[in-house]
Amino acid sequence: MMTSRAADPAFYAETAESLVERVFGAVGRLREEVLDRRLTDLTPHGPLQARHLADLRPALIELLRAHRDIVVGMGMIVAPGLLRGERHRMEWWQLPPGRDQPAALRVDLNPESLGFYDCDSAEWFDVPRRTGRRHIVGPYVDALGTDRYLLTFTAPVVADGTFLGVVGADVPVAQFERHLLRAWGDRALVAGQVAGGAGRDVRQGRDARQGRDVRAGEGRAGGVEPEVLIINSQGRVVVSNCARALSGDLLAGEPAGTGTVRLDLLDVPWQLLLTERLVPRRPLVRNQP
Amino acid sequence: MPTTIGTGRQAVFAPLDDGAGRSEAVVRRLGSAIALGLIADGEQLPAESELATSLGVATVTLREALSDLRRRGLVQTRRGRGGGSFVRVSEPALTALTKRRVRELGSTDLRELGEFHAAVAGTAARLAAERATSAEIDRLNAAVGRYAEASTNAARRRTEGRYYIEMAAAAQSVRLTRQEIELQSELAELQLFPPDTTGWARETLGRHRAVVAAVKDRDGARARRLTEETIGLRTLAMIEVHLSLGAKSGYTLDSEAEASWSTPEGEVDDDQPGC
Repeated sequence: MMTSRAADPAFYAETAESLVERVFGAVGRLREEVLDRRLTDLTPHGPLQARHLADLRPALIELLRAHRDIVVGMGMIVAPGLLRGERHRMEWWQLPPGRDQPAALRVDLNPESLGFYDCDSAEWFDVPRRTGRRHIVGPYVDALGTDRYLLTFTAPVVADGTFLGVVGADVPVAQFERHLLRAWGDRALVAGQVAGGAGRDVRQGRDARQGRDVRAGEGRAGGVEPEVLIINSQGRVVVSNCARALSGDLLAGEPAGTGTVRLDLLDVPWQLLLTERLVPRRPLVRNQP
Repeated sequence: MPTTIGTGRQAVFAPLDDGAGRSEAVVRRLGSAIALGLIADGEQLPAESELATSLGVATVTLREALSDLRRRGLVQTRRGRGGGSFVRVSEPALTALTKRRVRELGSTDLRELGEFHAAVAGTAARLAAERATSAEIDRLNAAVGRYAEASTNAARRRTEGRYYIEMAAAAQSVRLTRQEIELQSELAELQLFPPDTTGWARETLGRHRAVVAAVKDRDGARARRLTEETIGLRTLAMIEVHLSLGAKSGYTLDSEAEASWSTPEGEVDDDQPGC
C-alpha cells in the first residue's frame, strides 16, 4: 500500500544520484573549458601563467551563475610546479547567495602562517591526483578557506598524460539538503495523497488529538515517509530527513528498525539507509540523550 | 577585483573596532599577525592609504603605528622605486609587545579570555570526539606532531593555534571554527613562551596528545575536561606574568630581565611605563 510506494529506496537513491550528477556535470563542463583553451599545449612549450588561468574566468563565472541555486564556488587548482609564480595557483570564484558579483577566493599559501591553506594535501586535491578519478569530500568545515560547511566535488584535469590540476565545485551542505528534502517531501506527499487521500495534515491532526508533542523528525511518524540517511564512505551522514542523525554526525551503528535497506549509490561513494518508521526510536549517534 | 581572502589573513586587514588608542591597536593587530605568520617575513605591506582605509583608521594614525613598528624593528621602510614598508620578524620585539599587552590588560580580562577559549575549545573537543572521522583524527595527530617539532616561539604559537583550529573543524562546526580562528589572533599577542626549564613544553604536548587520544576513544567528556584544564593552566600562567609585571612599579629595561619569564638576550625592549 502507500508505505511501500513512498518507501521505495530506489527513488531516494536516484534523487541523490541525479543531484550529484548535476554538480559533476558542471565540473565536467569546466574541465572541458580548461582543455579547450589548450592550456595543455602551453606546458610542454612554456610555463603555464596566471593570465592563461585568467582566460578561464568568463566561462567559469557563467557556469557558476547557471548553477548558483546549488553551487557556491567553482574553479581550478593547478598542479604544483606547473605555474610560474606559485602564488597564483588557484582560480576559484564564489557567488554566495544574496550577492550579485562573484568574488575570487584567495587563500594563504605561506606554510609558515597560522592561516596556511594546504591545497596539496587537501583531500579534494590529493584524491583525484592519486586516483585519476572524480571525488566528493565532505561534509567538512573548510577552515581557513571559505569557512563554510561544504561538500566539495572535484575531478582531475589530465592532458596527454600530464596532470594539470583539479577542477571543482563547492556545494554548501545546507543547499544540498534543501534540494533533496524538497524532492523527497514532494514525492512522499504525492504518495500519501494517491494512496488514501491522507496528506500530512491528517496525520498532524491525529498527532494533535492524541496530545502528542509533534517534534522534528517525529511529526511524520505515521509511517508514510521512511527515515532516509545518506552516509559517506567514512560513516558520516551527508544528508538525512531525520533529526536524530544530521549532516556531519557519525553513525554509531545500524539504525534500529524493521525493513532497513542499505543501498550503494550508483557511481557515488555513498550509501543510502532507509528505515520504515515502525519501531520505537533509539539513538543513532553517540552521546545523544 | 572583488576578492575574499582565506579567513586567517582576512582578519588582519579588517577594520579595527576597539576605540581606545587607535595607533596602539594597529600596532597590536599587525604585531600579532606577524607573530602568527599571517604577514610573512619580508612581505610588503599595502600602501599607507590603502592600509589605513582597510583598517578604518586615519592615515596619520597609521603613520604613527608604522613608526612605532619601525622603532621596534618589526617594519622596515625603503624609499624610492620598489620601496615601501616591509615586515621583519623579530622574536624579541614580539615578546616585548606581548609583555606590554599582558601588563596593560586587567587580570579579569585575561581570566575571561581564558574562560571563553576553554568554552569554545572544550566544546569543540567534545563534539570532535563524537563526530571526527578517522581521517580527521589523523589530521589532529599530525597537528600535534607539528607542535612537537616546533623549536621557536613563533612556531609553537602557530602550530598550537592550528591544533585548536583543526579540533574545531573536526567538530563539524563552522561557528566554533571561526571563533577559534579569532581567538588565536587575540591570544597571539598574549602568549609568552618561557624558557623550558620546568618542562612545560613537554607537558603541554602530552596534554594535547591525551586530548586526541580521548577523541579517538570517542570519550567526549574526557576530551573536554582535558582541554579545559590545559587552557586553565595556560591562563593561570598568563595572569601570574601579568601580576609580576604589574608589581614592578619602577619598570625599567633592567628590571625587565628579572621578570619571571625573562626575554632572550639582546632584546630591544623600548617599553616605557605608560607609553
